[in-house]
Amino acid sequence: MLLKLNNIFKWVTTGGQRIFLLKDINLEVQEGEFISVMGPSGSGKSTLLNVIGMLDTFDEGEYNFLDESVHTLKEKHRSNLYKEYIGFVFQSYHLLDELTVQENLEMPLLYKKYKGSERKAMVADMLDRFNIVGKKDLFPAQLSGGQQQLVGVARALIGKPKLILADEPTGNLNSQQSEEIMQLFQKLNKEDGVTIIQVTHSEMNAAYGSRIINLLDGRKI
Amino acid sequence: MFKNYIKIAWRTLLKNKLSSMINIIGLSIGISACMAILIFVRYEATFDKHHSKAEKIYRVVQHNKLPDQTLYWDITPYPLAEALRNDFPEIETVTQTMGPIGQEFTINNGQELKIYEEPRVLFVDTFFPKIFDFQWVLGDPETALEDINSIVLTEDMAKKYFEVSNEDFDEVLGKTILLNGKDPLLVSGIIKNLPGNSNQNFSMLIPYGFFKAQNPDHALNWSGNHQGTTYVVLPNTGLEKSLESKLASWKKKYLKPEEDGRISFMLQPLTDVHNETAYGNSPGGYIMPFNILYTLTIVAMFILIIAIVNFANLLTAQSTMRSKEVGIRKVLGGKRLDLIVQFIFENSLVILGSLVLSVAGLNFLLEQLNINLMVINMQLELGLGHIGLIFIVGLLTIILAAVYPAVVLSAFKPIRALTNKIQFSEVGGINVRQSLVAFQFVIVQLFVIATIIVSLQMDYFKSEPMGFSSDAIVMTTVPNFEKLDVYKQTLLENSTISNMTMASGPPMAVDGLQLGTRFRLPKQPPEEALDAEIKVGDPNYVEFYGLELLAGRSFTTNKEAFDEFIVNETLLTSLGWSPQEAIGKKIEINEGQATIVGVVKDFHNNSFQRDITPCIIMNWAYFQNQAFIKIGNNHTDAIAKIQEVWENTFTGSVYHLKFLNDSIENEYLLEKLIFKGFTILSLIAISIGCLGLIGLTSFMVSRRNKEIGIRKVLGASILQIFFIFSKEFTSLIITAFVIAAPLVYYFSNLWLENFAYRIELSAWMFLSGGCLTLIVAMITCSFQSLKSALANPVNALRDE
Repeated sequence: MLLKLNNIFKWVTTGGQRIFLLKDINLEVQEGEFISVMGPSGSGKSTLLNVIGMLDTFDEGEYNFLDESVHTLKEKHRSNLYKEYIGFVFQSYHLLDELTVQENLEMPLLYKKYKGSERKAMVADMLDRFNIVGKKDLFPAQLSGGQQQLVGVARALIGKPKLILADEPTGNLNSQQSEEIMQLFQKLNKEDGVTIIQVTHSEMNAAYGSRIINLLDGRKI
Repeated sequence: MFKNYIKIAWRTLLKNKLSSMINIIGLSIGISACMAILIFVRYEATFDKHHSKAEKIYRVVQHNKLPDQTLYWDITPYPLAEALRNDFPEIETVTQTMGPIGQEFTINNGQELKIYEEPRVLFVDTFFPKIFDFQWVLGDPETALEDINSIVLTEDMAKKYFEVSNEDFDEVLGKTILLNGKDPLLVSGIIKNLPGNSNQNFSMLIPYGFFKAQNPDHALNWSGNHQGTTYVVLPNTGLEKSLESKLASWKKKYLKPEEDGRISFMLQPLTDVHNETAYGNSPGGYIMPFNILYTLTIVAMFILIIAIVNFANLLTAQSTMRSKEVGIRKVLGGKRLDLIVQFIFENSLVILGSLVLSVAGLNFLLEQLNINLMVINMQLELGLGHIGLIFIVGLLTIILAAVYPAVVLSAFKPIRALTNKIQFSEVGGINVRQSLVAFQFVIVQLFVIATIIVSLQMDYFKSEPMGFSSDAIVMTTVPNFEKLDVYKQTLLENSTISNMTMASGPPMAVDGLQLGTRFRLPKQPPEEALDAEIKVGDPNYVEFYGLELLAGRSFTTNKEAFDEFIVNETLLTSLGWSPQEAIGKKIEINEGQATIVGVVKDFHNNSFQRDITPCIIMNWAYFQNQAFIKIGNNHTDAIAKIQEVWENTFTGSVYHLKFLNDSIENEYLLEKLIFKGFTILSLIAISIGCLGLIGLTSFMVSRRNKEIGIRKVLGASILQIFFIFSKEFTSLIITAFVIAAPLVYYFSNLWLENFAYRIELSAWMFLSGGCLTLIVAMITCSFQSLKSALANPVNALRDE
């Protein structure tokens, strides 16, 4: 088992009233799963993803990740945990504009203190695997949206995470680009055994996954 | 990792060219202005400190206690040094100097005789080189001044007189220069040009023995007029008080009883000579009071602090645009410390850029100071030590200005940073920023309004009637009194010259052309005599200068024994006479007795700093050594004619011509320097203040981005949006004005009190300064406010 959420609650207080963002969420994710989270706007999809990714906190409940109880961990340990095991893919790619493709891929490795030669090998391998060797010296602004997201996924993968969290990864892409990214996810999941949790609006995208979770007003339905 | 930081930093700099430039230039203006002021202050505070005995050298000064006031003199009687040397063996060394005074030199270079006039010739005894350290290029300091017919030149003088280069100084040694056309002096030494920050500002040294031999009476006279300066070296510091008290009982041995009662000899440390105002400046020198230096130091510190604060402000404001990057980096594994290091590193690069620019800016500023302050022989140099100091300042800036934004920025929570939900309260309070900018504008307005007031006072000097006419009047000297009539007749024949008068000086005392005396009624005892100024004038003097006769008449003749006075109204008030009553009365002055034949309306016989004082014009045939010539419209022709006539008449002398108005303007040299200083400081303050304002506006603009978007969608016009921002900084500047105006009022009143004749402060001077600042600020901010007002609201309102 990769992670387990038990009775997770998250709320904000506005005008003396509690507004629940997440309400009594229970979820168990096994390694190698490909899960799609669906639901209308404001149903708490992104919040759930951020909680799983440990970028956001929750108010009540238990969260275990690889036998660590996340809810008892200090901020610092928590961030060490996600930095090691989780890769993020964003709707608007979030590449650093001032860095080239190659440099963007290299950045997470810099923080993980890999040696120069190792970094080079890993980046070269990733460029090769995603078929973007020819684009390595271009800046994000010189790429199409689909290519940028390709780099985004490559960057999420380069640190060899156990889990990829993707928040509407195809939200800014056209249908053909979306399909390519989804096929890539499927391939990563099937061939490399990477666990993926994605948030999506699209039934078609959700169908690539092995399981669908539906949310409404912070509740699992 | 650092390679990555450099890459990101460089690309970010390039991407935000404008703001990077504002950052770099703003900081470097601050640093170089601060450094330039500090270098200036240091220069002015270290006068004569380069002498190895500087701490033990004292100048002997006199305090002259009169019934109504005490006079502080930096001059001493000529025989003082020798008497001290004989009577006080505990004094290590004593030296006597005379001057510096102007002398004429003739040199025969083989083909022709050349005549030069040197304004700063100093007569010194053989002890002088033992006390002060000069760099001797040639000659032996021990012996160079032993033969009384010798002369020591500075390098510049050697080049001027013998037309040699540095390598050929050997040739100069032993050559002859004629002093005043008659006394041959042998060049016995050459010293390096004196540093600018020395009160010893002579260009030539002649043995004191020569002066003594030429003026035996003067040299032994303990009272009367003298231009001597005496320096002593004490074995240790701290002995000056005991010596002073010994001098108090010793001086009666030499001074007349009435002078012994009035005069006391005091010791002034050499290192204070330049900064203590009481004794005035020695000829050719100037005084830089301590309080000006303190004020300048504080101003320098303010400039630096403000520049650093602005820099930190701008960086923090700009860093909010980097929030996305912070989010990404944190999500991808960057720790807070990594980010702090990265941003400090990046900001340090910007600071480094500013430092390099500061060195260039400082160099430029120092050059400008040297050029603009040529009159005081300013010689500021950029040294390695200064560059070192700049880098220390840079380090300080890094600590103060680079760490803060880095810490603020690195604290962003990744999820909020990624979704652009950073609140501006997270990057420091807007109130703090506003007060900082308001504070800067208090300073800006202080300088701007002060500059306006100083310039108005300067203008007043020029435009206020002086009570006599000074336009188109030139002055020449009259070296040979016997040829005066020829000179006068030949000139007056010329059509370009309309009028002439001979006198000891113009109505206003300029260029030190002032003769003093004391006057009383013949029946009064000498102790009751009062100070007065005397002018010797020919019968044409009153008419020539357009002085208004209130009673009586002008002179009809000049006499070797004068017998007629024309006096001014101020003199009459002290005697209680009306102009008519005064005519025919006799008064007594130091030089003798005469009858008042005329009374003139008060004219400014002193420059505007001082009140009009009692003044006596006398019909004496002596001391009429200045010719005043009124010229027609064609100045060039007239001046050429005067030179021709002068040189034909007074062969063998050095020709000088000055416009009276130029000399009058020179009386306001210090005020002119103050005006220049204020203008420069105003410009610096304005540029730094505007940078601060840009920082604040970019802050306000980003903070209210969403609000502006909503307003525009709801139909606000561009002008209306522009007004929202204008309102904010207008109120800021008005607040600053309310604080600044009373301060300027207080300080400018204090300054104006230096002048007996001055402008009245009025509200419009202050308001115009305030408006000027407001307009400059308005223009500065308009760019950013307009950008925000013109922006597409969709961009501001889009939330991911």
